[in-house]
Amino acid sequence: MTTASEHQMEQAFNQTGDHRRSERISRETISAIAVAILCVAMLLGARFISPSLGSWSQVETVLVLGSFLIVLSFGQGLVILTGGLDLSLPAVITLGGILATNWVGATDPGAWYLLGAVLLVCAGVGLVSAIGIVWLHIPPFIMTLAMSIIVSSALLGYTRGTPRGAAPDLALALMKSKVLGMPMPILFVIGFVILGALFQSRSVPGRYLYAIGTNIHAARIAGVPVLLVQAMPYVISAVCAGLVGIMLVGYSNGATLRMGDDYLLPSIAAVVIGGSSILGGRGNFLGTVGGALLLTTLGTIITAIGLQIGWRTIIEGAVVLIALLLLREELFQKLGQYWRSSQPASESGSITRRKGT
Amino acid sequence: MSGNPGFELQAEGLRKSYGATVALEHADITLRAGEVHALLGENGAGKSTLVRILSGVTMPDAGHMILAGQTYSPRSIMEARESQVATAFQELSLVPNLSVAENVLLPGLHASRLGFVSRSAVLARGKEILSRHGLDRIDPAAEVGTLPLSERQRIEIARALENAGRVLILDEPTASLSETDWLFEQIEKARARGVAILYISHRLAEVRQICTVATVLRNGRSIATVSLSDATNDDIFEMMVGRRVEERPTRTATIASGEPRLRVSGLSGHGLKDISFEIHPGEVLGVAALEAQGQQALFRTLAGLLPVVEGKVEIDGTRATYKGPRQAMRFASGISYLPEERKVEGILPGLTAATNIVLPFLPRIARMALLGGRNEKAAAHEPADNVEMDRRYLAFNIENLSGGNQQKALMGRTLATGARTLLLFDPTRGVDVGTKQSIYAAIRRFADSGGSVLFFSSELPEIVQLSDRCLVLYGGRIFRTFSRDEINEQQLVAAMIGHAGVEAA
Repeated sequence: MTTASEHQMEQAFNQTGDHRRSERISRETISAIAVAILCVAMLLGARFISPSLGSWSQVETVLVLGSFLIVLSFGQGLVILTGGLDLSLPAVITLGGILATNWVGATDPGAWYLLGAVLLVCAGVGLVSAIGIVWLHIPPFIMTLAMSIIVSSALLGYTRGTPRGAAPDLALALMKSKVLGMPMPILFVIGFVILGALFQSRSVPGRYLYAIGTNIHAARIAGVPVLLVQAMPYVISAVCAGLVGIMLVGYSNGATLRMGDDYLLPSIAAVVIGGSSILGGRGNFLGTVGGALLLTTLGTIITAIGLQIGWRTIIEGAVVLIALLLLREELFQKLGQYWRSSQPASESGSITRRKGT
Repeated sequence: MSGNPGFELQAEGLRKSYGATVALEHADITLRAGEVHALLGENGAGKSTLVRILSGVTMPDAGHMILAGQTYSPRSIMEARESQVATAFQELSLVPNLSVAENVLLPGLHASRLGFVSRSAVLARGKEILSRHGLDRIDPAAEVGTLPLSERQRIEIARALENAGRVLILDEPTASLSETDWLFEQIEKARARGVAILYISHRLAEVRQICTVATVLRNGRSIATVSLSDATNDDIFEMMVGRRVEERPTRTATIASGEPRLRVSGLSGHGLKDISFEIHPGEVLGVAALEAQGQQALFRTLAGLLPVVEGKVEIDGTRATYKGPRQAMRFASGISYLPEERKVEGILPGLTAATNIVLPFLPRIARMALLGGRNEKAAAHEPADNVEMDRRYLAFNIENLSGGNQQKALMGRTLATGARTLLLFDPTRGVDVGTKQSIYAAIRRFADSGGSVLFFSSELPEIVQLSDRCLVLYGGRIFRTFSRDEINEQQLVAAMIGHAGVEAA
């Protein structure tokens, strides 16, 4: 008898166990899958609007344009994972772009190694933000916003309002060449996504980021080097932004002082649409990639059907808000708690009142 | 009942549970006008729940209360105050960025017809209230947040006095007061004008000084109401603890002599005063204390979460210089901390139980710089077995596990750091009996293998069962040290409330 009941319990246990495990997987991947399906559906659906849409060449365009956002939102995603936010991205993109054209493109377009120095400068900007946030306890959005203003103003002074120079050879090679008929930026971004996903989900620093994002006090007690891990994403994010600057220079063969301006909201939107929690601790890079592609597809279609640029921003803003509302489980939990707590409270109240009278 | 002079607050059969935890099972208490009534009980006996119900913070699940012949069932602190029942809470309920005057008047700031609050009128009325309760020296215009804790506590008490027309509840009013003269004077004045007073304190000497009657709570039940002049301290301890004699533990560990593993000398600061002790390899040193007697500061300092202000800590004879838990784990033979609050400082929600366990030594288990569900799980097997945690749970999100399994995972992690000294803060708080036994067994095995343990527990039987020696902290000092043969619950309770009289028993 006992063995039979034990067996039943075991079965029940396994069932609930499997259920819980599948729940965990689905929560993290479901939004990535949904986003991918939505992308394909939008591309195919766009064919009804205009036959030129939805073709392979248009897919290529989306992937090339999306590569900027994918690289950028990797860094933003890591920052958001720790519960922060990086608002200095547009300025750092511009920094990367202008340094690439002024330092490298204008003097010696072949000096590929100088691009490393460009990225190092960007990393320095990220490090300053990190120091302000981690050691001086300045709220992330204030600190990165301040850095953004400082960098932009410095660039304005440095270029005297008109950036000069041309794209370095390496940037052109990265964005314009083809390998076996595939555009180089697509191959590059595929490699980037693989490495990025491994870093975020499978590396030790990646785990540490999740750890401090879910509970920084517990992570500290568990021996995570909290300060270093908190600082890291700001540096990575700045390097990614600098890289995007270089990529943009290669793509459009020049830099402008406003080249990064359109990327701030989409970088946050891609992360949030990809299923990450804006409060930190949850999300994965593949979801973010899906979010970036979805936004890029959306932008391409809006441009193709001839809507004004203002509409694009409005739609992006709306998409972020909707994604925040739909994907934020905290919201549902809170609603649930509120509902549950309001029930028994009134119940017990009436009981005591009845007893009292 | 009508024969009694004045009025009464009578509570009968109060019951309150939070989810599966029954905080208060059945409590009866009667407070009479002009009487100071003490509420006594161990940690977790249900004192604060009873206070919360009487003061209107929470509503009971069952039972009823009658105040001066009328049903009393406040749904908020304000409703209680309307019935002239006021409470000075232990965790103060003042608004730090408002002035003292505004705080004592809240929420009745008496706006003018236009909806504006006259600053001078508020200050004048605040001053009047302060002076009525002997606090003339406090500036009514001062911002509360800038005042020392003891002054804030007096303001909290003054506000309660002001609003307590019938019943005054003082929850640990002396927790941050160093002298009691002012307080006792105010209590006496309130008593004389016919207020019924409920006085909650851990300090028996104080209770005997000011109270006449005491109700003892144990495990959520009111055990008895006694007249304090008739009951001896021993009687009261017995009522609080539930039994007189406790069986001896049967642990026969070999404690290494010679160089201690951990030596603390003259440690002061963060509320600690001159703490010195040693732990040898193989030794389990218990810490017993009532709430907030410095045990948090002691553990957090040793864990590296608070800096050493004065005195020194040595591990294996080397002066400790670590900053933060990460360095502490790696310092000499290592020191590892199991935190007090599982939810706040222990678990990492959203990550698997396996990741939660292996987090301190992640770099060691990465293969080619990569981690995967599999190697984390494999590395967590041994720590899980160590605390008798089922391996099947390892793949689960730790949030979805029961409190007991979460605690096992954290205990497994603390052991798996490889540190030879463990700091366990209330290692079995809020877990079931089975989990407790698993954790006890893990602690014993660790000590038998030559490990050193410093543990605090809010449950005395646990200290009696596990410790080789025991320290009692009181007011930030080591009040008494018990050798293994001396440890028994009643002596511990006596020492915990600062009562040294039964020392020779």
